[in-house]
Amino acid sequence: MAATKTFSTSYRQRNLLSRLGLHTFLMILAVLVGFPIYWSFIVSVTPNEQVFRWPLQLFPDAPTLEHYREVLTRQDLQLPRWFLNSVVVSTIITVLSLFVSSITAYAFSRLEFPGRDFLFVSILFALMVPGEVTLIPVFLLVRNLNWLDTYHALIWPAMASVFGVFLLRQFFLSIPKEMEEAAVIDGAGRFRIYWQIILPLSRSALVALTIFTFLGAWNDLFWPLIVLNRLEMRTLPVGLTVLNGTYTQERALIMAGAVIASAPVLLFYAIFQRRIIEGVMLTGMGGR
Amino acid sequence: MLGNYLFVLPFMVFFLTFTVFPVLYAIYMSFHDWAILAKEHPFVGLQNYAFLLRDDFWWLTLRNTLYFAFLTAFLNTVFALIVAIAVHQPIRFRDFYRFIFYAPVVLSVAVMGVVAAWMFNTQFGIVNYYLTWLGLPAVKWLANPNIVIPTLSLATVWWGFGFPMLIYIAGLQGIPGHLYEAARIDGASGLRLTWSITIPLMMPSIFFVAVTQLIAHFKVFGQPYIMTGGGPGRASFTVIMYLYQTAWRFFRMGYGTTIAIGLALVILFFTLVQFRIFGRRSTIEY
Repeated sequence: MAATKTFSTSYRQRNLLSRLGLHTFLMILAVLVGFPIYWSFIVSVTPNEQVFRWPLQLFPDAPTLEHYREVLTRQDLQLPRWFLNSVVVSTIITVLSLFVSSITAYAFSRLEFPGRDFLFVSILFALMVPGEVTLIPVFLLVRNLNWLDTYHALIWPAMASVFGVFLLRQFFLSIPKEMEEAAVIDGAGRFRIYWQIILPLSRSALVALTIFTFLGAWNDLFWPLIVLNRLEMRTLPVGLTVLNGTYTQERALIMAGAVIASAPVLLFYAIFQRRIIEGVMLTGMGGR
Repeated sequence: MLGNYLFVLPFMVFFLTFTVFPVLYAIYMSFHDWAILAKEHPFVGLQNYAFLLRDDFWWLTLRNTLYFAFLTAFLNTVFALIVAIAVHQPIRFRDFYRFIFYAPVVLSVAVMGVVAAWMFNTQFGIVNYYLTWLGLPAVKWLANPNIVIPTLSLATVWWGFGFPMLIYIAGLQGIPGHLYEAARIDGASGLRLTWSITIPLMMPSIFFVAVTQLIAHFKVFGQPYIMTGGGPGRASFTVIMYLYQTAWRFFRMGYGTTIAIGLALVILFFTLVQFRIFGRRSTIEY
């Protein structure tokens, strides 16, 4: 009896100790990971004369919105327009590519046509080719179509997303065929089955794909950097690199720009965190 | 039945236009001297490839890229696993921790770059501020050619480890609890359980993360482009930066494609390794 008691006490103590250690580790890590984001925000509301002054004020006593006013109104920056470009382009890419991927995935998972499996396998092969190979040819193509400095240059090449097709096809295949039979008896056509049965049953995969397609489009730097040149056509990430390169000494201004570029995604993440985190685990998308 | 083609038609048009045709065209271009504004693009055979093999700058950027990719992939693979195991324990606030750790992943590389560039600034950066506050010497994080790549790597781990962490957590959730019970009755400690049960069962996830991370970080561009411009000197110039410079600063499209194909072959090699290892990944059972 006594032996059992000492065993359980020491076990509980050890358990408590390891829990404490675990929390200390995770707490310190959480501060390290979260701090740069918090700090960028603090700098963006710090008056210019205090930005380079130590020690750092973690809670500025005289916060200012001056930098936001400046970064939003400077004629050589056009930040409101960049914001609009990012919103428009990311939204269009997301909506269109979700439609294209899902209807293609539906055909590959449910419809019969000659050469279907051959087509699908050749598409899968494309997943192996690194996207860098196509950069220059697609750039020349876009240039010949006179799409440089237009939304077209960003939107249409994004429609060839093999991963979306692959992901949704796997998901559609897991939906039992019986779900559609009633609709077939009612005389529903293929498009109606896709639209009214398959899509609603695939909500979790579609939501995940929507979120990560949007984030990918919103955050992309390399392709917009290549195909957008005119000041007013830039997206936020491209604009931010220009801001960073031009106003090297005005850190608060740059941070205000960075906050504006990331506030929407961080807010979105804060609201839909559960769905987003589940989406990553479901699809393996949503990172590098 | 032919009507069924209509469903795949839009995708096939985009796929052929923006993937298949460009891949073939890239190969074609790499055999030509393709200055963008020139009227003619003379055929040069294998000259671009021969030049690539003798191009010191290509080898330098490839070395930088491999160094960065291997270091970052290694750090992310190990560190994300440690954090995932810690967060997976039945403790309070685990959802909160998960939320914080994944948060930087949703940021654009542009945002991450400007924030990290200032954090690691030698004179005004907050990292050096706290180092000197602790009585340690200041470090030239981005200005010393010997540590610029580890610095970029460190910043990238901060930005990205939340993603492999979630992949690991998904894997951990798949390990049946009864496997731990027998060992626990035998009196095995938590660390022992992790080492003898969790890690071996997580091997498929660990390999998967390692290879996908490696492939992803071969394509590094944004971090050095924003934080160092490839410097100091050329110490952090990566392959994609060289490609960018060749094609969009010097407008040598033919040689640019050759660089892209060179990198693609390196990546393809690791992709094939991945396919070999994970061809039947879904059949693994406990």
